[in-house]
Amino acid sequence: MTSSILTPARARRRRIGAQWRAPLGIVGAVVALAWILVACTAPLWVPYDPVAQGLPRLQPPGPEAILGTDSVGRDVFSRLMAGAGVTIPLALLLVGCSVVLGTLVGAIAGYAGRWVDETLMRITDLVMAFPTVILAMVIAASLGPSLFNAVIAAIVVSWPQYARVSRSIVLSLRGQNYVIASRLLGYSPARSLWTDILPNVAGPILVLASLDIGTAILLLSGLSFLGLGAQPPTAEWGSMISGAMENFDAWWIGVFPGLAILTVVMAFNFIGDTLRDAFDPLARAQSIAANTGETA
Amino acid sequence: MHITRTGTVTALGAVTALVLVGCSGGNSANNSSGDSTSLTVNTSFTIETADPGNSYDPTGNTVAKALYETLVDFEGSDVSTPVPGLASWTQNDDATEFTFTIADGRTFSDGSPVEASDVVFSLERIQAMTEAKPAFLLEGLSFAEVDDSTVTVSSETPKLALPALLASPALGILNADVVAEHGGSTDGEDTAQEWLDANSAGSGPYTLDSIDLTSQITLAENPEYTGEHAPGYSRIVLRNVSESATQLINLKGGDADVALDLNGDQASGLGDGFTVDSVPSGQTIFLLVNQDDEVGGVAASPEFASAVRTAIDGDGLLELAGTGSVQATGVIPPGYSGALSDPVGQDLDATAAALTEAGYDGETIRLSFPNDYPVGGVEFTPLAERIQDQLKSAGINVELAPAPFASELDAYVNGTEQMGLWFWAPDYADSTNFLPFAPGLKVGLRAGWTAEDNPAIADVAAEAYAASSTEDRDAALSDFAAQMQESGPFIPLIVPASNIATADSVTGAAYNSVWTIDLAELAPAE
Repeated sequence: MTSSILTPARARRRRIGAQWRAPLGIVGAVVALAWILVACTAPLWVPYDPVAQGLPRLQPPGPEAILGTDSVGRDVFSRLMAGAGVTIPLALLLVGCSVVLGTLVGAIAGYAGRWVDETLMRITDLVMAFPTVILAMVIAASLGPSLFNAVIAAIVVSWPQYARVSRSIVLSLRGQNYVIASRLLGYSPARSLWTDILPNVAGPILVLASLDIGTAILLLSGLSFLGLGAQPPTAEWGSMISGAMENFDAWWIGVFPGLAILTVVMAFNFIGDTLRDAFDPLARAQSIAANTGETA
Repeated sequence: MHITRTGTVTALGAVTALVLVGCSGGNSANNSSGDSTSLTVNTSFTIETADPGNSYDPTGNTVAKALYETLVDFEGSDVSTPVPGLASWTQNDDATEFTFTIADGRTFSDGSPVEASDVVFSLERIQAMTEAKPAFLLEGLSFAEVDDSTVTVSSETPKLALPALLASPALGILNADVVAEHGGSTDGEDTAQEWLDANSAGSGPYTLDSIDLTSQITLAENPEYTGEHAPGYSRIVLRNVSESATQLINLKGGDADVALDLNGDQASGLGDGFTVDSVPSGQTIFLLVNQDDEVGGVAASPEFASAVRTAIDGDGLLELAGTGSVQATGVIPPGYSGALSDPVGQDLDATAAALTEAGYDGETIRLSFPNDYPVGGVEFTPLAERIQDQLKSAGINVELAPAPFASELDAYVNGTEQMGLWFWAPDYADSTNFLPFAPGLKVGLRAGWTAEDNPAIADVAAEAYAASSTEDRDAALSDFAAQMQESGPFIPLIVPASNIATADSVTGAAYNSVWTIDLAELAPAE
């Protein structure tokens, strides 16, 4: 673990980083909250129905359609806002499911040890051995293209990192005196795992999850871009960008959904960075280990 | 840490340098502006071999057309009237025997004369290769050499379409002696394809210089050419550029002189300095409504199909297809005999009545289509979205099921789509190529439509196939087209334009639905 040694250069960089991370975290939180608000309320106030084709096609941004219209005459702004309501909730759901599944698998593996540990962790290794996006594509394609299947595919590829982190923490806590004491008092392994160990896993997993939301959004949009996620005419950022490929000259069709993805992903990453700092130093070392192990 | 960072910087620098080299290489490798006798054409390659006898793909036809000549030819874009190519012809009253006389003085690229034996060899070679794609064109035909310059072609049944069929570039005439020397034979054991993939042995205006089926084909002027369309350039380079947006950039930047696959929006936005030839292609984009109860469900009736037909607003669809495209008036596209003059047009009252008759009550109908295979620059996804929108306002609920061409094709060919959005291109320039839409025939069956479902249309189609006079045939074809629009399961939508865009320094570009473009007609502008 040479990476955790605090050299002077490292300390200086961290100090500079720390000055900036808190404000960035606040900016991230504001932007993310704004997008979540849009996701919840967009249908109430967007100027046009996101799937209605009433406008002239390929109009540049102007007074009638502030972000222009796409190749069949739909309002890009309305679709962009409606798209937030598709991607963000699904990304949160996806991360939530991955956290639950991964933490559970890792905790059981770490607590039970022996062959249970070996079996579960080899399965984890197996999934992690494949390139994330390619494996997700294969799964989504074989299940049939739809948003629901894209989420399933994304869960399948994203749980292992949580399993690894939670296993390593459980492994280190398993032998602690307070855990052994509670077992000696006669509590069941399940209760010991649930009340004594899992609360300690929550912090690092939360940090990892917040950093993962951005990745999840990118993965879902990517699958939709490839035609494996949202199906037309659903307003989804990835599929909007894929539609823009046909009309390169009409830059507004693709640029705005691209900016939307950029801002959301950056916002959640800022939040994640700040959270990681808050959990310093233990969680920080853990999540670095997890991130370097992930390399996806 | 420092070492790692330096390493990263070095790696980044190397990557950047590579990318830059890659880009500049791509841009400058083929800059033809300095050399007036070289021409660069951008197209998305669909070619498997340069051997015409084994090829039946659009790019394959373009290349074969430049390298080889056929007995019969078409002039420019007009595919309704076959004209003499290598030979002129006469036919008997039953249209079962055709006599071809080869024009005087025509020579192959090695200087030897084109003779009747070359014609018989070339056609019998294809006939013998049962696996060859163009072999179906020659079914039921036999060839006989009368003298050095005369060949007779006999058919078992009346074959008015024979001259048009013989204009297919796949039926180009090879130099029999040269090809036989390299494995060519008429006994089905032909092994000449490998040699023909690196060399050409034809009488066309160009010869094959070099070929890479995935990236670039270079043609060189044929100095021995004695025909009508003398080559305008000493070299023609065909480059495989699959994205139309890249073709547009290449054309604008001067890296290409001709772009074959621009869509309507791209072509109309080209501006000064470029010429665009937009002609409706021979292809038709249509909707099919499956008539098989098990597949089609509530949609499986001619009434439902006619409800869809009257619910479609053709102008709204045409808007997506761009310049030069036209509305389809029936399964036979404009320019072919038997084509109807007017499309059906939107009539929502008729739709409502037909829907009641079909017993439709708001069920969701699944519309399958290929989403990665634009036809004539028309993308299917926006088209399907527009169709869904139009049908929704007519009270028909449609769910879209896009899929890659390669994976959806089976479902279409096997007739397992409830509703489908597909296209049909004629195999050769003759209206009988649209008869497979009839019940019980190839395309009809893809819509689960059997001959028992509509015996009347099946009979008219059979009549058109068997006709031995042009008048009878044209009458049967018109009748066929009209009845199909009345009670068929197909809703022909758009005949997309084919846009050939050229820099103003090039003249003579004309779209032809059989070989896309005759490269020999291109010449530098004065």
